[in-house]
Amino acid sequence: MSAVQAPSVAAENLIVVPYRRLSVAALATNVVLILLGCFFLLPMLWMVFASLDSNPDWAIKLPSLTLANFTEVLSRADALSSFRSSLILAGTTTVLTTVLALLAAYPLSRMHIPFKRSFMLAILFASGLPVSMLIVPVYQMYVSFGWLDSLYATALFLSASSLPFAIWLMKNFIDAVPVELEQAAAIDGASTFRILRELVLPLTLPGIAVTGIYTFINAWGAFIIPFVLTYSPENQPGPVEIYNFMGSHGLFKFGDLAVFSLLFSVPVIVLYLFMSRYFSGAFNFGGAVK
Amino acid sequence: MLSEVRFEGVHKIFGTDTAVEDLNLTVNAGEFLVLVGPSGCGKTTTLRMLAGLERPSYGRILIGERLINNVSPRFRDVAMVFQSYALYPHMNVYDNLAFGMRARGAARTDIAQRVKETADVLGLGNLMKRRPSELSGGQRQRVALGRALIRQPKVFLMDEPLSNLDAGLRVQMRAELSRLHERFRVTTLYVTHDQVEAMTMGDRIAVMNSGRLQQVDAPETLYDNPANVFVAGFIGSPRMNFVPGRLTTAQGKTGVEFLGVTAALSAGARLTAESSDGEVMVGLRPEDLMWRPAAAPDTTVSLRAEVDVVEPMGHEAYVTAVCAGETVTSRFPPRSGVRTRERVELALNPARLHLFDARSGTTILQRPAVGGAESPRSVREARIDESAEGRSERPRQPHGRSAESRTEEIG
Repeated sequence: MSAVQAPSVAAENLIVVPYRRLSVAALATNVVLILLGCFFLLPMLWMVFASLDSNPDWAIKLPSLTLANFTEVLSRADALSSFRSSLILAGTTTVLTTVLALLAAYPLSRMHIPFKRSFMLAILFASGLPVSMLIVPVYQMYVSFGWLDSLYATALFLSASSLPFAIWLMKNFIDAVPVELEQAAAIDGASTFRILRELVLPLTLPGIAVTGIYTFINAWGAFIIPFVLTYSPENQPGPVEIYNFMGSHGLFKFGDLAVFSLLFSVPVIVLYLFMSRYFSGAFNFGGAVK
Repeated sequence: MLSEVRFEGVHKIFGTDTAVEDLNLTVNAGEFLVLVGPSGCGKTTTLRMLAGLERPSYGRILIGERLINNVSPRFRDVAMVFQSYALYPHMNVYDNLAFGMRARGAARTDIAQRVKETADVLGLGNLMKRRPSELSGGQRQRVALGRALIRQPKVFLMDEPLSNLDAGLRVQMRAELSRLHERFRVTTLYVTHDQVEAMTMGDRIAVMNSGRLQQVDAPETLYDNPANVFVAGFIGSPRMNFVPGRLTTAQGKTGVEFLGVTAALSAGARLTAESSDGEVMVGLRPEDLMWRPAAAPDTTVSLRAEVDVVEPMGHEAYVTAVCAGETVTSRFPPRSGVRTRERVELALNPARLHLFDARSGTTILQRPAVGGAESPRSVREARIDESAEGRSERPRQPHGRSAESRTEEIG
């Protein structure tokens, strides 16, 4: 009904917005933003062009088209094994982090816990700590446990470092699910298990997905932790492999580097697109309350 | 099937705040009892204690003969309609309705049949496949109601179920709820802050304020004989006028002096207690304060007033006037033609006065009950009774026998 009336109301209350004059401040802001954008876009442009170029170098130039770089990278064993390592590392980290974050966030959202606020602030603080600060003692710990060069053990530390933010994120998603739904279900005669299975889990699914994807993307791009905690070539994940492309392989193979970087960013781009669907309101609690 | 609900000395304390204090209330089997009061008066807390969502700090809550203080919500056999409806957003209407029966392990065919019956009663038949987000406010309200109805519970709990609807729909749903209760006769506790809902729907109304039960009575009794200033002011729209007054005695007759006039109390009216020093609060309902040209013949008291504000409502007009320094509101006929600053004469039937103790706010006037006759006793005796019970400061429940027996005929 309101949709029908909306145009006439808008016409009556028409507010005339004058053309904004281009002020110096606005101009400066836009110039800075465009420059910043270039910093991100130019390397990506280089990556795309160089991957298709038969004779790539440092410069961004229109490529003389070829797919030779792709065929070469896809035939290299170390490139493929780094994909496998990255998948194991990021996958394990994601599963572990998401499950633990859900278990931690639910009571933090729903129950009266003493010092909850201080605890949440501590978690927020922990999520801001740079991991590289801890890497030396962690390395010593892994040496003494004999956990070095194990992808699963490395995933354990990656999970620990990504948990604080994941808990924080997940708690906000659970907070958004009206507690009255659970109360209504309890009065309806549902057991705690049924409430968790049929209400809490489906309703927090967007939160679980976002937390999972976010954790996966971070773990997929993690460099310093796997760089320190793994050493054998078959256990090196993608980011470390890219570093190796630049360093230990001697002369630069720009085409291979570009192709590998491009292929390595594909999962991240796909997941970002998927995640944006959750954020754009494909899932919401419409009609639950009010 | 029908069960009564009893609150016995129930308290609910949150930290240092007492939300509900010493609540003693019985909801009779099959009764529609409306719990009404301003925001924060403890009515919702009371409902949530009955649902099992809050645990009473002290006291006992019983459904039928069963003590339910420590029974979890799922085993209480109550159904609740939330103010926000709390529909399961990821389930369609059918699954929302079926959820409770599935949780209780009902057979698939039984569920299908009951869902269909309930949907037919509420006119939801063609919406079964829709999600809550695809329903209008009124339809959501019906689903919430259906989810409670389908269970055939011992007790219905409703927490301001109509407050999110627009005005027209609210009137319609009000009638529908009354009709449903007429049909199924399930014991119902209905919480609202809307006195119109309370007056129109309740078999009885319980008025709460600041965590304390003020009065429980049938709507008309509550309106005609409010137990204290709070109930008198809360029930009725526009609000009852309160002006200061003083008890007087002339030629053996008790009267009350207010707004510059003295009115004798009508025969049959009894003072249930003397006000401590003669100071009283006089309550005048706006409809009892009439415009002289339109007044009934029994309006023997006249007041002079100057009109301040005229609010035409169509079928009548609310006129706020200043009378002997006090602002009073009265209900005028629709086209009286009075204007601001005009001097008018207001008319009043002294039998319609309400008197309250100026300090405690408790009513001190018992008006003749229809056909009621009980043996008169002296005020002194009554006061001895009160102090013996040690509850002279507490609001009395006037429907109790004791209140009536403590009366003395005057005049």
